[in-house]
Amino acid sequence: MTLLIFLLLLFTAVPIALVLALTAIWYIGSSGNTVLFESYPQQLFGAIESYGLLAIPLFMLAGELMNEGGLTRRLIDLARILVGGFRGGLAYINLVANMMMAAIMGSAASQIAIMSRAMVPAMEKEGYDKSYSAAITAAGGLLSPIIPPSMLFVLFGVLAQVPIAEMFIAGIIPGLLMSLLFFLTISLMGLVHQYPKGEWPTRRQAWHFLLMGIPAGFIPLVIIGGILTGLATPTESAAMASLGALLIGKYVYKDLQFSHLFGIFKRTAINSGMVIMLIAAAGVFGWVIVFEQIPQNAAAWIAGQTSDPFVFLLMVVGILLLVGMVIDGIAALILVVPILLPIAQSQFGISPFQFGVVVCLTLVMGLLTPPVGAGLFIASSMTGASPMRIFRSLLPFLAATLITLVLLSWQGGLVTMLL
Amino acid sequence: MFKRLSNAIASVEMFVAALLAAAVTLLVLLNIVSRAMGQAIYWVDELAIYSMVWMTFLATSTVLKKRQGVSVTILTDCLPTRSRHWLAVFSDLMILVFAVALFALCWRWYSPVALWQAGFDFQAFQAETFNFMYSENTSTIGIKKFWVWLVLPVFALSLAVHALINLYDSIRTAGSAAGEPV
Repeated sequence: MTLLIFLLLLFTAVPIALVLALTAIWYIGSSGNTVLFESYPQQLFGAIESYGLLAIPLFMLAGELMNEGGLTRRLIDLARILVGGFRGGLAYINLVANMMMAAIMGSAASQIAIMSRAMVPAMEKEGYDKSYSAAITAAGGLLSPIIPPSMLFVLFGVLAQVPIAEMFIAGIIPGLLMSLLFFLTISLMGLVHQYPKGEWPTRRQAWHFLLMGIPAGFIPLVIIGGILTGLATPTESAAMASLGALLIGKYVYKDLQFSHLFGIFKRTAINSGMVIMLIAAAGVFGWVIVFEQIPQNAAAWIAGQTSDPFVFLLMVVGILLLVGMVIDGIAALILVVPILLPIAQSQFGISPFQFGVVVCLTLVMGLLTPPVGAGLFIASSMTGASPMRIFRSLLPFLAATLITLVLLSWQGGLVTMLL
Repeated sequence: MFKRLSNAIASVEMFVAALLAAAVTLLVLLNIVSRAMGQAIYWVDELAIYSMVWMTFLATSTVLKKRQGVSVTILTDCLPTRSRHWLAVFSDLMILVFAVALFALCWRWYSPVALWQAGFDFQAFQAETFNFMYSENTSTIGIKKFWVWLVLPVFALSLAVHALINLYDSIRTAGSAAGEPV
C-alpha cells in the first residue's frame, strides 16, 4: 500500500520532496508506529543539520558569481590558447572550457545552461551544426559532477557518511579519463562531420587571453588545491572561490555590479533550497526504507543473481540508467544510496568511493536521456535545437560515458588510487 | 485579500532566505579568517548550519508557492489539458495536506497549551508530559534548541496559506476549463 501511495504521488507530479515526506506520514499512520510522529518534525530538521551540506549553496553561489563576473568568458578564451588551432578547434575549446568550469561548478544542469549560451552561438557562426554543438556542450556538462567539486558527491558524502574531500579526490582520475575519452570521441566524430578549420590566436591575442585568463584560472586552482592539500574543507574552498569570483568579477573584469548581488543570493537560496529540502524529506522517508527492510529484501534478491562485484556494479548501472531516465538525479541518489550502498559494502566489499563515483556518473547520464532529461531540455531551450536531434548527436558521447562506467566498475583502483 | 497576504509572506520569505544565503557565505569566510589568525570562533559553524536550514525551509515555501518544485511530469505531460488541470488541483491539495499535517505535528511537539497550563515552567511541563523538547540545547550558540526548530511551524503555516491560494486558483482554472468545449 505504501508503495502504491508513493507511486501515485510520484507520477501525479507532486513535488518529489513532498512525495517522500507524505509517504512517510502515511506509512507511520498505517503501521501504527505512531510514536514516530513525535519525532517527525525533528527528523525533518535534523536530516539537514550537516556541515557538509553548506558546500551546496556556496558552490551554487560561486557558479553564479563566475558567470555574472565574466569569468566564464575568460576561461573560454584561455582554452583558445590551448586547443584553438586544431581542426575542429571550437569543439575542443568547448570541452576544455567545460573541464575548467567543472572544476568550479558543482552542477551539470547549471553548467549546461551557462556553456550553451556561451559556446553554441560561436560554434554555429563558424559553421558547426547547431544540434552537434549543443550535444558537445551537453556532454561537457557530464564532467561537472565527476571533476571536483561536485554537488552530487557532496550529497553522496552526506548520505554515505564518507568524507566529502576524499570523495572529491576519488573523482579526479575518473574525470580525466572521461575527458580523454570525450577528446577521442570528438576527433573520431571529425571523420564524419568535417569540422571547420580552427585558428590559433595571434601572439598579441594570446598574451591578452593569457593575462586576462589567469585570474579566472586561479579559482579552479584554489578549489582543487585547497581540497587536495587538506588546507580547506570543501565548504571552505567553495566560500573562498565565491569571494575570489566576486573580487575578480568586480575589480579585475569590472563586469559585476554590487546591485546584482541580491538577485544572485536569491537564486542561490532558491536553487540550493530545492536540493537541500530533498535531503530533509529523505530523512523521514528513511524510516519507510528501514522499517520495511527494503535493503535486506533487495540484498537477498541481488545475492541470488550474482556474487561478482563487477557484475553487481554493472547491474546497478543498468538499473540506475532506467531510474535516471524517469527521476531527477538528485532525488534518485537520495532514494537508492540508502538501499544499495549497504549491499555493495557488506556483500560485495566494494569501496564506498568506487560505488559513489559509479552511481553519480550513471545518474547524471539520466540528465541527457529522454523522456525527462533536464539537461537535454536546457540545452535545447538555450540553443533552439530540438531535443531529439541533440540526443542523436549525443549518442557517441553517451557511449563514451558508458565505457568509462564499465572501466570504473571493473577497476576500482581507478577511483581509489589517489586516496 | 488572502492572495495579497500570500504574496506578502512570499516576498518576506524570499528576502530573508537571500539574506541567510549571504549569512552562510560570510560565516564560513569568517571561520576561515579567524582560524587563519589562530583564534577560531567556535560557534560559527553551528550558526552557519542553522542559517542554511532556515534558508532551505523559507526558500522551499516560495518555490512550492510558485509551483517550481522538482517533480516527475513524464505521465502528466501526456495527458489532455483538462485532466492536467485536475491533476494540478490534486497536487496543490497534497501540498496543503502536507502543510497542515506538519503544522499539526509541530503543534503536538511544542504542545503550547500544555506549556501554558504549566505556567511556562519547563520543569513542570516535562513532569506533566514527558516531552523534553524544551530542555534541549544547541551545542555552541547558547540558546535552547526549540527557538531554532521554530522554523518548522513557521514554514508549515506559510506553506498552508500559499497552498490554499494555489488550490483555490487551480480549482477555478479546472472548473472554468471544464465548461469550455474541448
